[in-house]
Amino acid sequence: MKSEAEFRSELRKWIVNKNGKIKAEDLKDDTAIIEQRIISSLQLMDLILELEKLSEEALDVEQLKPGVFKNIDSICHNFYKGESNA
Amino acid sequence: MSKLEETSKKLSAASCKSYQNPYEYLDWPEQLDREQWFFSEELISIYGSPEYESLSESQKKQLSFFEAVNFFSLNIHGEKPLVEGLARRLYSRELKDYADYLHHFLDEENKHMIYFGGFCNRYAGKIYRDKKLQIPRDYEAGEEDFLFFAKVMIFEEIVDVYNLRMAADERLENTSRKINRIHHLDEARHLVFGRQITEHLYEKYSKEWCSETIERLREYLGNYLVATWKEYYNPDVYKDAGLNSPYELMERAWKSQDRIALRQQVSASLIKYLRERNLIGEEIQL
Ligand SMILES: [Fe+2]
Ligand SMILES: [Fe+2]
Repeated sequence: MKSEAEFRSELRKWIVNKNGKIKAEDLKDDTAIIEQRIISSLQLMDLILELEKLSEEALDVEQLKPGVFKNIDSICHNFYKGESNA
Repeated sequence: MSKLEETSKKLSAASCKSYQNPYEYLDWPEQLDREQWFFSEELISIYGSPEYESLSESQKKQLSFFEAVNFFSLNIHGEKPLVEGLARRLYSRELKDYADYLHHFLDEENKHMIYFGGFCNRYAGKIYRDKKLQIPRDYEAGEEDFLFFAKVMIFEEIVDVYNLRMAADERLENTSRKINRIHHLDEARHLVFGRQITEHLYEKYSKEWCSETIERLREYLGNYLVATWKEYYNPDVYKDAGLNSPYELMERAWKSQDRIALRQQVSASLIKYLRERNLIGEEIQL
């Protein structure tokens, strides 16, 4: 199981990579990734698959509210299942 | 009478003629012999990969079953919002002249889900999850209708190439092949309507849209095309077929030259249509 810090850092890397333009230092834990169109609604499917890969667990997509993808903090809060070391 | 009105009249007449009872078309065998092809081998999402080559013939056929369930599932995930959107537009001011055809369109999509859902539930005991999420946003006048039909067209054009190939594939198990065939017969009409209405709405409204809206639409439709294709590569399928590291396998299959070439070939006529009307950019990474 990954630590929360690892989970966060892999998630950040993935978002930076997916967006292709934003610099890692500009992507804060509370940067609104959907609102600021860093991740598009169409890329949410990729994000869901990435989260499943990171958390090693299939997500119940039907129950998801788009709000859980607001920023890195909210994603970690909703999808990181291991011990919190924050 | 406008060209689109004429088309929708003709299509309505054709739909009346081929009106189907979805409870009579298929015999639904009690069980399916899994030692058959349910999905054309060359269309299997990981076809050509080392992982695929390492499978026995029987394992490949097992995988083809889950690929068929995925294909039928993604059709349901496309058809549900389609039925919703058609119902919402029935007798709307914008589309009232085509209401007769919208009734057929809606009716036929509902029947398709009876076929697709019937297969998935009977033989796999499930429909694969939909992993798409919608984020509500504001639209300019006419933009939402245009996007609705443009997306339906993109989704249906890709599906139809697969349907046609599988309807013609003599190796295919009979139920799966018949579902592909019946779907293609209805979709042939939907595609004609889809291309014409997309063009009609774009011509009618795009003059009023600001350049930013048009740029956003072009980018969105290109991304939508790519996202539509992504659903054909489902890690849940690989899990069910007993393959290792399903997420990594999905990523590798997506990036394989062979599959990129397949996606380009299958979408060629659609991309030509979209490019000629300047509806997508040049830089689509399929
Ligand atoms: Fe359909
Ligand atoms: Fe259709």
